[in-house]
Amino acid sequence: MKLHRSIFVLPTALALLTFASAQQPGASSKSAKASRNPVQEITLPNYPADTPPGPNLAAYQQKCLLCHTSRYVTTQPRFPRTVWEKEVKKMVDVYGAPITAEEQQQIVEYLFAIKGPVDNK
Amino acid sequence: MTGVLHRRSFAAMLAGLGGSVAANRFLGPHVFGNLLPDAWAAETANAPELARYPQKTDMILLTDRPPQLETPLRYFTTDLTPNDAFFVRWHLSGIPTSVDTRTFRLAVSGNVRKPLSLSLQDLRTRFEPVSLVALCQCAGNSRSLFEPRVPGGQWGNGAMSNARWTGVRLKDVLDAADVLPGTVQVGFRGLDTPPIPQTPRFEKSLSIDRARDGEVMIAYEMNGTPLPMLNGFPIRLVVPGWYSTYWVKALSSVAVLDQPLKTFWMDTAYRVADNPGAEESPQQLAKTTVPITRMAVHSIFVKPAPNEQLVAGKSYTLQGVANDGGSGIRKVEVSTNDGKTWGDATLGTDLGKYSWRLWHMPWTPTAKGSYRLQVRATTDDGQQQATSQWNRSGYQRDVIEHLDVVVA
Repeated sequence: MKLHRSIFVLPTALALLTFASAQQPGASSKSAKASRNPVQEITLPNYPADTPPGPNLAAYQQKCLLCHTSRYVTTQPRFPRTVWEKEVKKMVDVYGAPITAEEQQQIVEYLFAIKGPVDNK
Repeated sequence: MTGVLHRRSFAAMLAGLGGSVAANRFLGPHVFGNLLPDAWAAETANAPELARYPQKTDMILLTDRPPQLETPLRYFTTDLTPNDAFFVRWHLSGIPTSVDTRTFRLAVSGNVRKPLSLSLQDLRTRFEPVSLVALCQCAGNSRSLFEPRVPGGQWGNGAMSNARWTGVRLKDVLDAADVLPGTVQVGFRGLDTPPIPQTPRFEKSLSIDRARDGEVMIAYEMNGTPLPMLNGFPIRLVVPGWYSTYWVKALSSVAVLDQPLKTFWMDTAYRVADNPGAEESPQQLAKTTVPITRMAVHSIFVKPAPNEQLVAGKSYTLQGVANDGGSGIRKVEVSTNDGKTWGDATLGTDLGKYSWRLWHMPWTPTAKGSYRLQVRATTDDGQQQATSQWNRSGYQRDVIEHLDVVVA
């Protein structure tokens, strides 16, 4: 049986793409200038986390916001607990989030508290 | 067995990637866009945040890390969407923020006789340039309109944009690499990386037939200028007629495969019910699913804006856009009486079968009251929109849309 080869090869040159050139003063985010500048660079704006108060907020902040913005949650409509359980499980099973079973429970509690059905209290 | 080898090779590749892309940095103050004109203010009444990102205009902020930015509908009145208003959707927070055009290379490897490492100059000089107008639309565009609601990016109708793409045919690049017999798929990766190593990198695949159909492009320009960084600078895949999950941004690696790509992004995500309308219900979820591909026929209102104050006896122009997955739009019909009667809208410029089509129709409401406007499109090959629709992921929106307006 033919073994499958390493399919995605990254050119060495790319690996050498440097911070140094990216950080040179005057690097512009405007396309017009960038077309003259061989290094195209942007600086992403910083949006403060939007974390409504709720139980186990610390676990949510430490585990969920490690990889993604709080807006993944705050822009969602309200959902029943089963939906939030499924979402947290997906983060662990699919995305490999390092969250213990106990922490998963805690995080579901938080999500349910801030984005559960209106009548969940 | 093969899957294991896949993972190992990916891991090896990841190890080699360290430091290749400037890390995501979150510096500087956030800047909110200017207020929208009055008529459009209502549109964002429930979308609390507008954001202005580098090279972009004021956009509706869904998420900031990674960025997901929706195009405000007011930009949908021209055939081509300005680059700075073009919607943005990344999956993983390690997005490229810096690219050195001198050292950037596109790798073409795998089941080929001649692996390639192409510079941007190579792409511009070694292959015939081609140009095509094509709609780029997120599979989950309009997700927030599904009832019952489904989790996922809560897009309104602005997770789509229309542009003229210039670049090279993927076919020509594959031919230069000399694809070997036994090839079944072509896999694609960009410069984006996951925030932690356990998260699968974003990657997609096309069948070899689709990849070599002469229509799929590697684009280095949109609307005549380089792509904004957030839209995939320096090059992105353009898969005309298919949802933009395949339009890999900051494309850096093309892998020619003798076995189907095994990845979460093909095997689990971006799948729809295996029936013509991708239809299912919360009570009866489809048992078999397939990867989402071709865009469904759909049409939306752009004007009037939601909640716009209309006055009886005054003349208005109802307008919007319609699209499908590559047949072309034959007809757009509008009803101003909740579907009792329909009239043909006038279609805008035909920019090709992969472009959206602007439409407009004059309307003078004669009496005060509430009106339910509806719009529906028919494709050149006769496909029509659905009268109801639901699926668990909020994908492939094709239902006839309505807009409730009050005439005072």
